[in-house]
Amino acid sequence: MKWRLLVLQIATPILAIVFGVVIASIIVLAIGRNPLDVFGVLLRFGLLRADSLLSILFKATPLIFAGLAVALSFRAALWNIGVEGQYYIGAFCAAYVGFGIKGLPVAVHLPLAVLAAGLGGMLWALVPILLKLRRGAHEVITTIMMNYIAAAVILYLIADVFRDPSQIGTPRVRTPEFPGSARVPSMGPLLGLLGLTGPDANKVNWLLIFGLVLCVLFTVLLSRTRFGYEVRAVAFNPQAAEAAGIPNARIQFLMFMLSGGVAGLAGLSDVLGFFGYLDIDFPKGLGFLGISIALLAKNNPLGVVLAALLFGFLDRGALGVQFFARVPKEVIVILQALIILAIVVAYELVTRYIRMQRKREAERPATAPAAAAEAGH
Amino acid sequence: MHPVLIELKGITKRFPGVVANDYIDLTVLRGEIHAIVGENGAGKSTLMRILYGLYQPDEGSIEVNGSPVVIDSPRKALQLGIGMVHQHFMLIPRFTVAENVILGSEPAGALGRLRRKEAEQRVRELCRQYGFALDPAAEVSMLSVGEQQRVEIIKVLYRGADVLILDEPTAVLVPQEVDELFANLRRLREQGKTIIFISHMLDEVLEISDRITVLRRGRVVGTVPAAGTTKSQLAEMMVGRPVLLELEHPPVTPGEVRLEAREVTVAGRGGRPVVSRLSLAVRAGEIYGIAGVEGNGQTELVEALVGLRPVTSGRILIEGHDVANASARAIRLLGAAHIPEDRHRRGLVLPMAVWENVVLGHHSRPQFLDGAFVDRKAIESFANERVEKFDIRLSNIDVPALALSGGNQQKVIVAREFSFNPKVLIAAQPTRGLDIGATEFVERQLLEARSNGMAVLLISANLEEVLSLSDRIGVMCSGELVAEFRRGEATPQELGLYMTGTRRAGATSP
Ligand SMILES: Nc1ncnc2c1ncn2[C@@H]1O[C@H](COP(=O)(O)OP(=O)(O)O)[C@@H](O)[C@H]1O
Ligand SMILES: [Mg+2]
Repeated sequence: MKWRLLVLQIATPILAIVFGVVIASIIVLAIGRNPLDVFGVLLRFGLLRADSLLSILFKATPLIFAGLAVALSFRAALWNIGVEGQYYIGAFCAAYVGFGIKGLPVAVHLPLAVLAAGLGGMLWALVPILLKLRRGAHEVITTIMMNYIAAAVILYLIADVFRDPSQIGTPRVRTPEFPGSARVPSMGPLLGLLGLTGPDANKVNWLLIFGLVLCVLFTVLLSRTRFGYEVRAVAFNPQAAEAAGIPNARIQFLMFMLSGGVAGLAGLSDVLGFFGYLDIDFPKGLGFLGISIALLAKNNPLGVVLAALLFGFLDRGALGVQFFARVPKEVIVILQALIILAIVVAYELVTRYIRMQRKREAERPATAPAAAAEAGH
Repeated sequence: MHPVLIELKGITKRFPGVVANDYIDLTVLRGEIHAIVGENGAGKSTLMRILYGLYQPDEGSIEVNGSPVVIDSPRKALQLGIGMVHQHFMLIPRFTVAENVILGSEPAGALGRLRRKEAEQRVRELCRQYGFALDPAAEVSMLSVGEQQRVEIIKVLYRGADVLILDEPTAVLVPQEVDELFANLRRLREQGKTIIFISHMLDEVLEISDRITVLRRGRVVGTVPAAGTTKSQLAEMMVGRPVLLELEHPPVTPGEVRLEAREVTVAGRGGRPVVSRLSLAVRAGEIYGIAGVEGNGQTELVEALVGLRPVTSGRILIEGHDVANASARAIRLLGAAHIPEDRHRRGLVLPMAVWENVVLGHHSRPQFLDGAFVDRKAIESFANERVEKFDIRLSNIDVPALALSGGNQQKVIVAREFSFNPKVLIAAQPTRGLDIGATEFVERQLLEARSNGMAVLLISANLEEVLSLSDRIGVMCSGELVAEFRRGEATPQELGLYMTGTRRAGATSP
């Protein structure tokens, strides 16, 4: 019995994906295409080409940070919907350190830029969490408001205050370029040694590894340490935690700050790793994708990595499906959303089933004579 | 007339995951008071809901007056003369007694207007006939709980019921009100009514009923005459094993004062005091029981004592340290343990594993930590030891607390709060909702703690429990300590007078 549950638990994500594929197949059939063809292209194009793998890695990098940031807040029963704004501010802070300081060695300049991004994200998270803990304002509302403010602030700073003077007169609105000392090195050479070469090879940068390391560290922090234990208690039952002498407000504050700090890093892969300047058109919407990723990952940091890779894969595969299977782009967007939705639903169903089985298991007929006699009739 | 009024044959009712009633046979004789007893979850309420037409049985049949019937609605039950007195009163506070009684079966006049005078008259007659002390013109919001219950009974009688089902009617009453209810029930019996009375209080059942049917886990264990049956026989039928009903209360010489409240005032919602200038002192080796009708400030007092609610004025001393408005953590560190009254809200983190819950609040002790890390091995061996010692029934300590039954959940809390030799234990409703077996266990632990020199403050809505465990008893009413007694000084009736605010006295000194 116990083994069966364990196997089921491991098989859950697979079951969930199968379910997603089935639902998506129905849609594909509905538009008169053969699901086998479409999924064949999706898999072949998405997984069997070196340039696709590189593209997946590049796309997943910022998503790992965004997903991890959201997951961290959810783990503390807080709703950080403000990752979007936090990474705008983080990206700007990193850019400012990038173009504003010259003549530092990489070993100082780059960490400084990354640190600035984290602090920028934290700064943007500080207001909502203080408002929540001090005044009881709900963080969903305040973080959304902070997103609007961040978007406007960034626009103003890039377009009006720090616009690269050399670009004036052109349609490009961006900050000055950073020196090489503030750039995140590419993983291209290393990936080349592994046989992964292609036009995207140089886009993949070391922030990917940094993101993975963060996910591992947070897994350990949340599952093994006293702090993690207290976070769980506060998240699941703040009143019981309070009665046990756990400082609720402090735990929530710290977790929200960590969430904001990680959120601040979400834009770096593009800004420090790829562009080398902060453009007014830098990638937006990562914060909201982060919410989907955190949900899909059940707020598990390692799950975040897998979910981010899945998103990267669906994105890349969609390109292939569009070109080679001639499925309209809109249908592909629907498919992506459906697959994710189906996975979430299937996951929920399986976890519920497991929980029910567990409950039945928990109080096995004990060895006491009374209970034994009971079981007799 | 047939002597057998109601006969249930092979009644079975299943809910997802449980068989609430498992092939139940029950015979109710005309004009008797028939008690149905059983622990929580034994299936008593389910059986009665079936008889009153609220649930349909999955199997089995019902006969009334010797002929088979199908009771598919309460209306049908009332046509057959079967009425149920609701456990949770369904009265409209702003209406008068008479208006509440006729609600739903109003006698309408020619113009559709309520013939209020006529209704009042009928209600008055019913009260006289059955000797109920009730004023039909009184507004229900002004009535005590006992009086409201009387209104519910009259309501059922007004609808012409010959059989009255009362589901745990005494759970909400103080001793005087119980006495009065029983007098009323006896009068109803004299007038030929049949009464089905549900309870899990054995004393009451033996006092009031003619015959007793015991249920255990959805099955009938047996039906016995009340005369000649003892409390311990009944308890054994209910639990399925012998139970010690009278716990030994060996003399212990109390030591120094460990917990003291001096003129403590606590504000409730809106700033109005819910505990006012309350003083008490609990010594080592002593159980101080607080009796009172629930909602008279006990909850707030406990929260203030353990650091979960601010104190507006006054001092709280634990071994001489002033801890008024100190944090829950600081109070715990001084050696105060707390069994909260609401185990789901305050006592456990339900989704967390049992091993994690067993150390909640102790988790920062050096022995459970390995630097910043949780020392899972150490906690697990500690948890296993606790599970063993407190006889917590579970398959393993990795299951979440929510998977345990109420009794086992409470044992997890008790096991935790008794760890590391606390100096003071504040136990709020420690046996609420527990069955006889688990109750006996927890009470025994409290007495053992007392013998080991712990200072125990016991807050319980169960008067019998307060009387049997405490060395001293304080009565709380409207946020004040209105009386204090030594063990054996007061009868339940006397306590009841203070609990309802009928009598007041200056508190005696400890
Ligand atoms: N409406 C319901 N749905 C599901 N389970 C129920 C329902 N009513 C009662 N039960 C279950 O049936 C069992 C008997 O409950 P109940 O008749 O209320 O017992 P008692 O009144 O003796 O305490 C319990 O396990 C309870 O959880
Ligand atoms: Mg019941």
